Amino acid sequence: MLSAPNDFQSDKLRESTRRQFFGRCVMGLGSIALASLLSEQKLFAAEPVKLVNPLDPRPGHFPAKVKNIIYLFMAGGPSQLELFDYKPKLVELNGKPIPDSYLKGKRFAFMDTFAKDPPKLLGTRRKFAQHGNSGAWVSELFPHTAGIVDDISLVHSCATDVFNHAPAKLFMNTGSSQFGRPSMGAWVTYGIGSESKDLPGFVVLQSGPRGPRGGAVNWASGFLPTTYQGVPLRGQGEPILNLSSPQGVSANRQRQTIDAIRDLNLKRLVETGDEEIRTRISAYEMAYRMQSSAPELIDLSSETQATKDLYGITEGEPSFARNCLLARRLVERGSRFVQLYHTNWDSHGGPGEDLEKSFEKVTREVDQPCAALIKDLKQRGMLDDTLVIWGGEFGRTPMGENRDSTGRNHHIDSFTMWFAGAGVKAGQVLGQTDELGFSPVEDRCHVHDIHATILHLLGLEHTRLTFRFQGRDFRLTDVHGELIHKLMA
Amino acid sequence: MNWLVRILSLMALTVPALSAEQVNYLKEIKPLLSGACYQCHSETQQKGGLRLDTGANARKGGEKGAVIVPGRSDESLLIKAVMGVAKDLPRMPYKKSPLDDEKVALLKKWIDEGAKSPANEKAESVLHWAFVPSPAVVPVPSVKQTKWPRNDIDHFILARLEKQHIKPSPEADRVTLIRRVSLDLTGLPPSIAEVDEFLKDKRADAYDRLVERLLGSKHYGERWGRHWLDAARYADSNGYSIDAPRQIWKYRDWVIHAFNRDMPFDEFTIDQLAGDLRPNATLEQKVATGFHRNTQINQEGGIDKEQFRVESIVDRVNTTAGTWLGLTMGCAQCHDHKFDPIAQKEYYQLFAFLNNQEEPDLEIPSAPDLQRQETLRKEFTSAENELKAYVDSAAGDVSMWQKSLSPEQVAKLKPEIKTVLETPFDKRTLKQKLVLVDQIRKGNEDYKRKKSQFTKFEKTKLDLTTTMVLQERSEPRQSYLFIKGDFTRHGDIVTPGVPKILPPLPAETKNPNRLDLAKWLVDPKNPLPARVTMNRIWMQYFAKGIVETENDFGTQGSGPSHPELLDWLANEFLRQKWSQKAMHRLIVTSATYRQSSRARPDLNILDPYNKLLARQNRFRLDAEVVRDVELTVSGLLNDEVGGPSVFPPIPDGVMTLGQSKREWKTSEGPARYRRGMYTFFYRATPPPGLMVFDAPETTSTCTRRLRSNTPLQSLTLLNDAGFMEFAQSLALRVLKEVPENDNARIDHAFRLCLSREPKRDEQQRLRELLDSQLKSYDSQPEEAKALSPKNLPAHANVKQLAAWTTVSRVLLNLDETITRE
Repeated sequence: MLSAPNDFQSDKLRESTRRQFFGRCVMGLGSIALASLLSEQKLFAAEPVKLVNPLDPRPGHFPAKVKNIIYLFMAGGPSQLELFDYKPKLVELNGKPIPDSYLKGKRFAFMDTFAKDPPKLLGTRRKFAQHGNSGAWVSELFPHTAGIVDDISLVHSCATDVFNHAPAKLFMNTGSSQFGRPSMGAWVTYGIGSESKDLPGFVVLQSGPRGPRGGAVNWASGFLPTTYQGVPLRGQGEPILNLSSPQGVSANRQRQTIDAIRDLNLKRLVETGDEEIRTRISAYEMAYRMQSSAPELIDLSSETQATKDLYGITEGEPSFARNCLLARRLVERGSRFVQLYHTNWDSHGGPGEDLEKSFEKVTREVDQPCAALIKDLKQRGMLDDTLVIWGGEFGRTPMGENRDSTGRNHHIDSFTMWFAGAGVKAGQVLGQTDELGFSPVEDRCHVHDIHATILHLLGLEHTRLTFRFQGRDFRLTDVHGELIHKLMA
Repeated sequence: MNWLVRILSLMALTVPALSAEQVNYLKEIKPLLSGACYQCHSETQQKGGLRLDTGANARKGGEKGAVIVPGRSDESLLIKAVMGVAKDLPRMPYKKSPLDDEKVALLKKWIDEGAKSPANEKAESVLHWAFVPSPAVVPVPSVKQTKWPRNDIDHFILARLEKQHIKPSPEADRVTLIRRVSLDLTGLPPSIAEVDEFLKDKRADAYDRLVERLLGSKHYGERWGRHWLDAARYADSNGYSIDAPRQIWKYRDWVIHAFNRDMPFDEFTIDQLAGDLRPNATLEQKVATGFHRNTQINQEGGIDKEQFRVESIVDRVNTTAGTWLGLTMGCAQCHDHKFDPIAQKEYYQLFAFLNNQEEPDLEIPSAPDLQRQETLRKEFTSAENELKAYVDSAAGDVSMWQKSLSPEQVAKLKPEIKTVLETPFDKRTLKQKLVLVDQIRKGNEDYKRKKSQFTKFEKTKLDLTTTMVLQERSEPRQSYLFIKGDFTRHGDIVTPGVPKILPPLPAETKNPNRLDLAKWLVDPKNPLPARVTMNRIWMQYFAKGIVETENDFGTQGSGPSHPELLDWLANEFLRQKWSQKAMHRLIVTSATYRQSSRARPDLNILDPYNKLLARQNRFRLDAEVVRDVELTVSGLLNDEVGGPSVFPPIPDGVMTLGQSKREWKTSEGPARYRRGMYTFFYRATPPPGLMVFDAPETTSTCTRRLRSNTPLQSLTLLNDAGFMEFAQSLALRVLKEVPENDNARIDHAFRLCLSREPKRDEQQRLRELLDSQLKSYDSQPEEAKALSPKNLPAHANVKQLAAWTTVSRVLLNLDETITRE
C-alpha cells in the first residue's frame, strides 16, 4: 500500500517540473492555446490541481437534516415475527390452518406447494419483552438492539411489491423490479455529490457466507453515469479493486508516473481544448489520494480497544461488526452513502436456513454491531447528521413452511425496518399490523414512501430528483411515494 | 399534402443566439403546442374551456379569459402558466415535464411578434415527424463553398452551417485520420507500418483505399457486431441470483459473421427475430434467433415460473421496440402511453407475437465434433456388429435353453426375462436377445468383452456445443392484456397485431406470426427502422445521433438536428438495399467525418454542444476497445475471431460478489490475450475491467453507452495486473524492436500507442522520466527486479526493462491512448 510522500517537497518538485515543462512547450503554440495555458497555470498556481469532479458536493432542493446514510441491508429477509413484531395471538393459534380470508388474492414464493400442503400458522418460540421508555417489544435474540430502542424508530408496517429475493432486492434498492434503474445510493450521489475528496461517495460492504443475490445490479447506476455507481469495499485483500500499485512500484515511483501522465495530458488539453482531459487529470489525482486514504480507512489501529470491543470486532477477521465500524469511519471521512449487506437471513427451514440455530447465528452476528454503531455515532455527535437504516428486502409469513425444520416463507405485506438518527423520531414504534402479523392495519409504509422520506431527509424532493432517459423523467419513486411524516422528527 | 405535414413536423434546432428572423407559427409553434398541450386543449378535450389547436383558438382564450395578449408575452397567461407562475393555476403542461427554456423563449417571441397564424389554419394535430414517412426524394441542399463537400452528406451539414455563418473545421491530419477510421471501423489502432504506408500513399484516393481495406477486415464484424450485441443484451450467464453460465456464443459468432459479409439489414433482422420460421430454415438462421434468448432466466427457488417467463417476453417486446422502432414501448405495459400514440392494447398485440415460443438449446456440432461423432459411430457400429454376430452364434443354445425350461421355472424368472420369452423369436430386439444370452453365457470372457464394448459406446455422449434458440410452438398460447401490467390480472384476449400509428400488416396476412412481425419491421413503408438504424450508426461516428435521444423517436424525444439529412440517409440505406457497409463507407468518406476534432473558441459560443458538426468530436474508446488497443500496442493481441468466451486475468475477489461463487479459471496462453468482447460475462459478477469503462450491464437492451470518467478507471489502467502485463510487454517490445538509442525508442513506443510522432517537449518529458528511472534503479536494484515480468528473457537488463516499463505505463495511461480524436 502507498503512503503519501512528503507533501511539501513533492509539491514543490512537481511545480518546478511543470513550469519547466510548460516553459518549453509554450513555444510554438498559437495565441489561443497560450491564453488557455496561462489560465491553466493560474488555476494551478494557488493549489495543486483544482479540477472538476462530478461528485463534488452540491446543495439539494432545500436544507437537509441528514448529511450521510448508513444502510444496514439484511439480505434474505429477516423474520420480523421472531425479532420485533410480537403476536401473542399467533402463538395461541400455532399449528392451526390460516383462515382463507388471509390468503385470498395473495401470491407467495413456493406457492405451487400450497395446494398439496396447506401452510399452517406458526407462533414464535422466542421470548419477547418490552424495553426502554418507548416500551417497544424486542425478542430475546436481539438483547443489544433492545438496549437502543429509545434511539430508533421501529416501523412494523413496511410493505413491498415483489416476493422473490433478487427482484425484491432490486425493488428495495431502485424502486423497481425491472433492471436498468439506478440504485438509491446512485440517485443520492447524483443529487448532492459527496463530501469526500479521496474516497468514493457511495460505498458497498458485505459480510456473511455469500454475496447478496443479484450482485452488482443492487448498487448499479442504471441509466445514470457510472460515476455514481456503488464501489464495493472488500473485506479481505485489497479494499478497492486495483488499489495497490503494482508489485515493484513504490509510492514515489507511482507519483512520478502520475506526474508524467498529468504533464502529457495537460499538454494534450492545451492542444485539443477538450475539457474531458481536465476531468481525467482530476480522476488520476483522486485515484492517487485513494491509494493512501483507503488503506488508512481500513487500518483500525487508531481505534481504541474499547471501540473495537463495543462492536465486537475480532482482529483480522472480516465481519459485519468490522463493516459497521468501517461505515462510521467512511461517514467520518465524508462518504455520502454507505450500504452494508449481511447474508443470510433466508429462513425457510431446512439445512442452514432454519429459524433455530441458523437464525440465532445470524442474529448474533448483527445484534451487537448494530447497537454499537448507534451508540458510537451518538457519542461522537454523528447521529445528528447521519441516518441509519436497518431492514431486508421483505419479511416472513405468519405461516410456517412444511420443511425439515422450522421456517417461514417470504412475505411482502408487512415487515419491520428501523431508522435512527438525523431527522427521525427517536424511541417510537410506528405502524400496527393485524393480530396475526399478516398486514398493516395503520400507517402502511411502502418502499416508495420510504424512498421519498429518505430523499426528503437529505434535502431532496423526490418528485424533483429526476433524470431524463428514453424521453421520460425517471425518479427513484417512479410515480409514487408519500412522505412518512410520522417517522420524521 | 405530405410535404406540408413534413414542413410542419420540422422542429427548430435549439441553438441559442440564433435568428433574428420572425418565428414561423406552422413550423415552430404549432408542433410545440401539439406535443405539449393538445392532449387537454384541442378537439377531444378542452380543459378550462381552452383550445390551443389553432392560432385563432389560442387567441380566443378560455374560462379565465384571454391567455395570449399579442405583443405582450409578459402579460400572457399562457407564458405564466408554462413558467409555473400563474395565479391559481398549476404549472403547465399539467403533470408533464416543463417546457425547456428555449421552447418558452420561442413562445414568448411568437407572442411578442403579435401571435400571428395563417387565417386558413385547420384544427388538426400535427403528425409527429417520426411517424411521417420520408419523402421519396429528399433534395440535397446547395451550398456556397462548393469545394468543401466530398459527398451529399456534406451538403446537408454545410448548408446548415452556412445559414449560421459558421465555417467547418479543416480536415484532420492524416495520422489522426487513419487512427480515427481504424478505431471506428475495426476497434483496433493502426500499426506503425500501416500509418507509414498511408502517409506515403500520395494517390488521390489513398483514403478511400484505406477505408476499403478496413471495411474488408475480419475485425470490422467484431467492432460493429459488438454495438449490436449491446442491443441484444448479450451475456454468458442467466442473471438474477443464481446466474448459472450459459452457452450462446454461437449467436455472437453469427452476429460477427453477418456484419463481415455485410448481410443486408432486413435479412439480418428477419433471421434474428424469426429465422426458425423461414421456409427450410438453415442452422445459421436458427442460431440467429438467439437474439431474443439473451433475456435473463430466474432460477431462484420458490419462484412462479410463469411470472418470469412473462417478464422475459416483456423484455423482448421492449427490446424489439427500442432496437428497431426507437420507441419507448415499456410505458404501455401498464397503461396507454402518456406521450406517444401507443395504446396498452397495442403493447400486448406485440406481446402476442412473442408469446408463442419454446426455448430449446440447439446442438451445433463443430467440425472436430463431427469428426469425433463419426469415429464414435464407426466404433459403435463395429462393436454392435461383433456383438450381433456373437448373439446370433448363440441363438441355438438360447433356443435350447428356452425349450428346457419347465413352466415352474419360467414362473420364477424375472419379469423382464419372461417378457422376452413371450416375444416371438424374430421380433426380439438386440437388447432382448442379450437378456437371454446373459442367462447362459454369464461367465464367458469373450461375451463379456463384446458386451461391455457395445455398452460403452452406446453410453458415450459427445459434449457438443449448443446454443439457445427460439422455436415456434405448434399451439399458440392465449395472450391477454395484463391490467396495470400485472400478469395475474388478465384483461381482454389479444391477438398479434401492430400499432395503428405505423403502416398495417399486408392485407393478405392471416394469423400473423413472428415472421410477419419481422418482415413488417423492415418493410420499406415502415418509417422508423431505417431512420433509427442510421441514426445509431451516425451516433457511433459523432458521439451523438442526429436524434440525440436515439432510443426515443417519440414526442418526448429530442427531435432531429438535421431532419432532412436523417431522411436522406434512411432513403439511401434502402437504396443501397440495406447494406450497412455502403452507409459506413459514405459516412467515413464525408468531409464532415474527416474534420479535425479540435475545440474552437468561436464554436464554444455559437454551438457549444457541437450539434451542427462544424468539427468532429473527440471521445473515449469503448470498454472493450480500451483493452484491445492496449493489447495491440503491447504486441500481445491474439486477433482470432469468434469462438467461446475466455477468461483473462481479473482481480482477486471479484467472483465472490454474487450469490453463488462462480469459478474463474484464468486462461493461459493465447486465450489470455483475446479481444475484450470475448471475455466471459457473468451478469451478477461482470468483469470489472469492462464495467469500469461503461460496458452495459446486459440486463436490458442498451442502444447507447454513456461515457464516464472516474478515478476507478485510473486505478484500473495504473494498477490492474492485466494492464501491468501489457506495460511490461510493451517495454520488452520496444527494447527488442529498437536495439539502440533511447530517443528513438521513445519515438517508437509513442507511435505504437498514439500513432503520431511525439512533439519535442513530449519526447523530452518522457526522456526525463526514463533517465530518472534508470538513475534511481541504480540505487534501488531490488525494485527493478520486483517490476520484472514472470517470463523475463534470459539476457534482459533488469534495470533498463524496469525503467522502460514505467515509461510504458505512462504511455498506456495517457488520455490520448484511450481516446479517438
